[in-house]
Parts: sequence; C-alpha cells; structure tokens
Amino acid sequence: MPLSNYILLSAVMFSIGAVGVMLRRNTIVVFMCIEIMLNAVNLSFVTFSKLHNDISGQVGVFFVMVVAAAEAAVGLAIMISVFRSILSVETTDSSELKL
Amino acid sequence: MTELLWYITAALAIGSGLGVVMLRMPLYSALSLVLHLFTMAAMFAFLDAHFLATTQIIVYAGAIMVLVIFVIMLLSLEGTEKRPSIFLIGIAGAAAFGLLYMMAPAIRRTFPMTGGSLQGDVGTIGKSLYTDYIFSFEIASLLIMVAIVGAVVLAKRIKKNAT
Amino acid sequence: MIWFILIVKVLIVFQIALGLASVCVWVERKGSALIQDRIGANRAGAFFYTDNIFLKPVFIVVRLLGVLGVINTLLCDAVKALFKEDFVPKGTSNFIHSLAPFMGVFPVFLAFSLIPFAPDFVIAGITIRPQVASLNAGVLFIFAMASMAVYGATIAGWCGNNKFSLLGGLRSAAQMISYELALGISLVAMVVLYGTLDLYDMVVAQTKLVGGFLPAWGVFTQPVAFIIFFVAGMAETKRAPFDLPESESELVAGYFTEYSGMKFLLFWLGEFAEIALLAALMVLMFFGGWDIPYVTLPATWVGALIGHLVFMGKITFFCVLQIVIRWTLPRFRYDQLMHLGWKILLPLSMANLIVTAVLKLAF
Repeated sequence: MPLSNYILLSAVMFSIGAVGVMLRRNTIVVFMCIEIMLNAVNLSFVTFSKLHNDISGQVGVFFVMVVAAAEAAVGLAIMISVFRSILSVETTDSSELKL
Repeated sequence: MTELLWYITAALAIGSGLGVVMLRMPLYSALSLVLHLFTMAAMFAFLDAHFLATTQIIVYAGAIMVLVIFVIMLLSLEGTEKRPSIFLIGIAGAAAFGLLYMMAPAIRRTFPMTGGSLQGDVGTIGKSLYTDYIFSFEIASLLIMVAIVGAVVLAKRIKKNAT
Repeated sequence: MIWFILIVKVLIVFQIALGLASVCVWVERKGSALIQDRIGANRAGAFFYTDNIFLKPVFIVVRLLGVLGVINTLLCDAVKALFKEDFVPKGTSNFIHSLAPFMGVFPVFLAFSLIPFAPDFVIAGITIRPQVASLNAGVLFIFAMASMAVYGATIAGWCGNNKFSLLGGLRSAAQMISYELALGISLVAMVVLYGTLDLYDMVVAQTKLVGGFLPAWGVFTQPVAFIIFFVAGMAETKRAPFDLPESESELVAGYFTEYSGMKFLLFWLGEFAEIALLAALMVLMFFGGWDIPYVTLPATWVGALIGHLVFMGKITFFCVLQIVIRWTLPRFRYDQLMHLGWKILLPLSMANLIVTAVLKLAF
C-alpha cells in the first residue's frame, strides 16, 4: 500500500473537517469537526514516522492526543458555562458582547 | 486482501467524517465521530502503530467522546440550527475538491515507496518518551492538571449569595 | 490452512463466550434461589413422561434438567424474548434504540478474542496457539474495550426519552469511567511485574515457583492489585453491590427501562458475558491461567485439553463467586460509590504501582 494513499486520505479528512468548521453553527459540532482535523494530522504524523523509520512521529501523535483531551475538557466546560447564560449553543446566538 | 480492507476502512472514514459534518442532530454527529475514530485507529494499525491505535480508542473514543455525549445529553440539544444555504455548501465543496484535485498528483509523485519497517510497539515509544521527550512529557502532565482545574472552575455553578 | 484454523478458533471462542454467559444466567437464577432460601424455577419440562421404552432415558434427563431449572432459563426465556413485541418509545429514533444493545455487547465479545484458552499445542507439526488474536499490545486492547462498554449504557439511557432512564444512563457512565482508572492502573502494575503486555506470556510467567514452594501466581505476588482489580471490575460490570444504575429507583429498571424482548436479552447476555470476561482476566493474570501448581503439562493436544478444563474450572469458580457476592451484599449509595472509586481505590492502585516498580528495579 503506497504511503501516498494515507497522505491523500489525511488531506481529504482535513478538508472535510475544515468545511465542517466553516459551515456548521452548533458549537459542539464545530468542536467535533476540529477533532476530525486533529485526527487527520495524527494520521499524517504516523505516516511520516513510518516513512522515515523514526519513532518521533508517533510520540508527536501521543502529545497531540494529550492536548486534544485537555482542550476537550476545557472547551466543553466553557460551552456549559455559556449555555447557562444564553440557553443556546449556536454560535450566532452569542455574537453580541453583552450576555 | 489487505488492500481491500484498507479501501473499505478509508471509505468508512470518509463516510463517517461526512456524517459528522452533515447530520442534523448533534448526537448522531457524535456517534458518527466515534465510528470515525475507530477507523482512524484501524489506519494506525495498518501502519504498525499498535500502541497508538489502542491509545486512540482508549483516549479519544472512550473518554473524550463520552464527555461530548454527556454534554449533549445534559444540555438536551436538538438539531434546530438552520441549514447553511446551498450556495455556501457549493462554494466550500468546490474549493476543497479543486485544491485536492490539484494536490493529488504532486502527493503521489513524492511518496511512491512503502516505507520502512518501524514497529510502533509500547517499548519503543516508551523508551523514546522517557529519554528524548521527557521534558514534554512532564509539561503534558502539568497541562492536564491545569485543564482539570480549569474545567472544574468553569463549569461550577456560582451561587449568588444574598449578602 | 491458516484461515481454516482461524475460523475454527473464532467459532470455538464464540461458543465458549456464549456458553459461559448462558451458564451464568442459569447459576444466577438457581443460585439466587438457593441463597434466598426458596426453590427457584423448576416447572418447565419437569413433568414430561413417555411410554415409549426407547425414549425413557432421554425423558429422564429432560425431567432432571427441568427440575434444575435449566430448560426454564435457557429455552423458555429465550423463546419468550423472541416473541415479545419490540416497541420503540415515541420521540426517539429507531436507529439509536437498536444501536444501543449492539454497542453494549460488541466490546465484550471483541475482548474475548484476546483470551488464550489453553496452552500451546502441536498438531501434525504446526504449533497452534489457542488465542484468536495475539496482539503485542494485548492488555491495552482489553482496556480499550472496557472504555467502549460505557456507550451501551449511556445511549440506552438517552433513548428512553424519560428522565429516569437518562439519569440511570448518566450515572452508570459516570460510575464506569471512574472505576476504569483504578482498573487500568492495577493492570499496569501487573504489566510491570510480568514485563509483557501479551496475555499468553503473562500466564507463562506464572508457571514458575517463587521462594521454592509457592507458585508464582499473581495473587501471591500482588494481592493488593488483585483486590483492586476485582472490586473495580465488579463496578465496571455494574453488578451489585455497585448496581445503582440498574435498580436505581427499585421499581424502574434504570437505563434499560424502555427495552423489552430480544434487545433486553442482548443487554442481559452482554452483562453476563462481561462477568465471564472479568473472571477470565482474573484467572489469567492472578491465578495462573491453565497452570496446575507443581505439574507441567505436555505440549500435545491432551495437555492442552487438560489445561483448558482447568482454566474453565477456575473461570466457573470466579463467575459463581461474583454471582454469590451479588446476592449477598447490599447496594452502595451513589456518593459512597464515588468516594470508593476516586478517594480509596485510585490512590491505592497508584501506590501499588509505585511500590511494584521500585521493587522490580531493586531486585
């Protein structure tokens, strides 16, 4: 299986995630599309690690997962906190500065 | 046989990714994302990165997505947002497709070979993590602690006292 | 040839998993009756009679099984569940209602593929390892499947479209993710002790003798890890005394309120298969697997068969132990459960890990 297939898959997934972030208005779905983008980048890290026989790529993926987990926890806490004030998770409903 | 399995997995990955972006209710998007994370774990296993494949299922599909599903259920979110106009979807889709179409031959020319013989098992990653990247490892643990404290503080309900 | 061996292994493992789950269901019904000082199910098939002289022995066996409650539990309950009306509550989607039992059951059966059932044996020059998939990250995969088991309960709770179900589902998810940590860290301590992640190699490492006379079983070298694993495992399978999510209001069944018929049976089967999985893991990591102390088994199919029977015997002991514990102990309150998981088991397992690592480096 040529490695270019993995890179192409990673590119396709990244663009699907980017389109999702731009088009969806529900904050949680936007967060999930960001996770798709992070996964696509993880896949290309692992592909490059296999190509160059260097384990550092996979260690990089490990750290990306750690950061994604931390970001998920804090981001969802923010969403809950915003939901308590404006009772909605759509991005268009919190576009004014006054809560 | 492995090739066929790879194409099926890739098709599932793209399909579930599109499902996350296009499905109406947030709970369906979350379940579609769980499927996507499973297919990504399968991709890691195809590349012989076994530790990362199982870690992906444990951390992403088993912990982060449970948290997202919890939040969706607690906030009782329904899919009531307005669908974006077909014009915007058309522009975004065409731009993405055009860029990929231009990039694909260049990618295929640069990576024709099948790569080395690296086995990403626990011992190899563990050695590298604890010797070369020990500083990043400690900082990552500090980051997680900060995230825990931050999440608890942000999600706490502030009682307004009478005095 | 490799495909043929693989298919035979998969069939045998699936048969064992379902067989253990069914036996556990029967033991639960009759065993609970014995513990509660009543008789239990003994009517179906207990009065079969025939005048035909050739069928008399068969009917004696059928009457015996009927009196023991086997026909009632295994045949009648299954037929009843198949023919019950399967309704989906109004207001939730059909797809997710059908998906939830699937997500509750598949991690358990997938984890069974990693369990080695007998020692290696040689047939016609080929060495066969009775393990469907021997990954080099074996124990981590089991932990991944334990993480996936949370989804079945959570989604089933949401699907009921009522607050009791949702609360049951969310509570069960919170309980499972809390006890997963203690489970995982005690597993890591075992991995540090045996130096390998593969379950087969862990059993092989336990066939030695430590101190000259004591078999090197995990329960003697790591008693604290055994206790933590057992308690956390029972909390993961949501069995009493941790079964608050299931019987939370004592009248409504928690997260499986809106399930009836075959879907409920799937959940039930998944839960009992999880009991069997926990018993299998405990025997593999702490009780020597198929090892009989002071005896080495030959590497032929006879030795493999003996080892397999010993293994099944030990698993049955632990299944029965879990069922007896369920019917003996009262249930924990929710805050007591969370206190136990986070404040007692987690620090204890981390301390165990540190002590294990230090001792392993020192000797």
